[in-house]
Amino acid sequence: MLRKLQNTCRQLLLEGKVDVVIGYGQADSESPTHPVFITDAKDVKKLVWNDKCLINLVTYLKRPEIKSLGKSAIVAKGCDERAIVVLEKESQLERDSVFVIGMACAGVGQPLLPKCKVCDAHMPQVADIIIGSVENPSVDADTRYAELKSFLKKSPEERHKHWVKECRRCLKCYACRQTCPMCYCERCIVDVNQPQYIDSSASTKGNFAWHITRAFHLAGRCVGCDECTRVCPVGIDLRLLNMSIAKSAEQNFEFRAGVDPDAKPIIGSYSEQDREDFIR
Amino acid sequence: MSQIITKSSLLRLADKWLAEQKRVIGPRSAPSGQVLYAEVEDAAELSLAGYIRPANSIKDYIFPRHEKLYSYKINGRNIELIDAELSTVEQVFIGARPCDAAAMPILDRIFNWDCSDDFFNRRRELSTIITFACKEHDDYCFCTSVNSGPEDSRGSDVILFEIDDEKYEVRSLTDKGKKLFDGNTEESDKISSVGPGPEICFDLKKIKQFLDEGFESPLWKKISLGCIGCGVCTYTCPTCHCFDIVDEGNSSGGERVRNWDSCQFSMFTKHASGHNPRSSSSQRGRQRIYHKFQIYPEKFGKLLCTGCGNCSRDCPVSSGVKSVLQAVQKSIMENG
Repeated sequence: MLRKLQNTCRQLLLEGKVDVVIGYGQADSESPTHPVFITDAKDVKKLVWNDKCLINLVTYLKRPEIKSLGKSAIVAKGCDERAIVVLEKESQLERDSVFVIGMACAGVGQPLLPKCKVCDAHMPQVADIIIGSVENPSVDADTRYAELKSFLKKSPEERHKHWVKECRRCLKCYACRQTCPMCYCERCIVDVNQPQYIDSSASTKGNFAWHITRAFHLAGRCVGCDECTRVCPVGIDLRLLNMSIAKSAEQNFEFRAGVDPDAKPIIGSYSEQDREDFIR
Repeated sequence: MSQIITKSSLLRLADKWLAEQKRVIGPRSAPSGQVLYAEVEDAAELSLAGYIRPANSIKDYIFPRHEKLYSYKINGRNIELIDAELSTVEQVFIGARPCDAAAMPILDRIFNWDCSDDFFNRRRELSTIITFACKEHDDYCFCTSVNSGPEDSRGSDVILFEIDDEKYEVRSLTDKGKKLFDGNTEESDKISSVGPGPEICFDLKKIKQFLDEGFESPLWKKISLGCIGCGVCTYTCPTCHCFDIVDEGNSSGGERVRNWDSCQFSMFTKHASGHNPRSSSSQRGRQRIYHKFQIYPEKFGKLLCTGCGNCSRDCPVSSGVKSVLQAVQKSIMENG
């Protein structure tokens, strides 16, 4: 797979189809991977592909520093690729402006990341080229949201206590925001200070305000790549919050963000048939 | 002869400090598996082995990320200011790493430079730092490259050296530290040692030369491409100390608070006019390195970095001071 990946990228660069390849590099096989931005076909050897390729590189498609490099090709797993679908739906990128190199992936992380255990996107769907082949399991909604279900067994008081404890650790470093492909606002609501809508303090109140706002802004948009959870330096399990909102979208609107490229985004579309009985 | 203490006696001592209403802060495993410095209610919560260093730093408890400076009440044309009370709680850090403790005298200079910061100074006075010298290091550690090392004693009140799984050698460095351990150690002829520390991974002299001339180098743009612009490196760094002061309240009153801020945020240097002198991520990445290796050293004669490696260890995309300075070093070698 690696050779095919490198050859594909070499071709793309040599033929001038793209100006930059966004992929994974690694100092040595023991190290974590890091993003690489290959602009010279001679450097494709720097690309790696293995189960340490955790980062959802799609986040770079929103960054002005990367946009300024020209047309890009991006290495994407099936889960990452869903973010491209949403970005296109939200008019954040032209599908033709990026060449997607989809990687067949049976899961990443040592141990396997929680998202990979319930993943049904082993094979990319919308990529321009798919490298490798692996069986795509079907996963039912009960399995997908099993972690959430066990959390919801706790009483509301216990759950509140859990989030108070979690949010108390939050440093407001905004790694969750910065790594999220869907957080592309030029000025985030927490950075608006005239007037200040949300306390900038990393107090329990300020942290609650941030995490609730973040989760709600991702309603029907979060693709479940779990990057926010992976990058959190103090280990807050934001996955649970995201899952809760994703489950609502799936239950009430039969919608999963980024899964069906032809589906209308639920927040960006209106239908008289929309259910509203869950709004209380 | 050396003074030793067993691990169980140390934990008993920590429980005694807790009973004396002292705050005890040390490494503790978070539910996610990460080890973080945290306040404990019971010494049994401490995890004193099996980690290289916590993902945060002890700075959190000396210069907290959110702190009230004073509160205010507005009643018509009357504005009443109410001072915030300074901390009165003694706090004992147990299991700090040398790279955490060494940051304390570095921060002392900042918070006592153009004015004396009562909030910071009071917490410093109330703190006793018991450091664990390092037997091991990981690929992120680079203390030896920045004039530090596994037994750096700067900022520590006591250093403990692990003899085996059960015993530590106790070296008290200050009266404050000595007081905590007096009568609780035994004499022994056992001698402890530390690990060799990480290999030196860049040459400070060469880095300094590069910084003197390389402000406009295209290298900064190249090495910052991967940066996603979060504040992890600055917030988990033991020496980063930038803050923002904001008012939080409504028309009848509120609080003036001091919150951590990060030079990696695009808003950090944004002027009221809209102009931003550091509008790109490469300018912000460069700033962090210059502050640590040129600006602070020129002012205070020391580096603003203790080589803890948290900036890379915690970085979402595995960047950080070590990899940046290694890239600088590589470019010097290649280009002369």
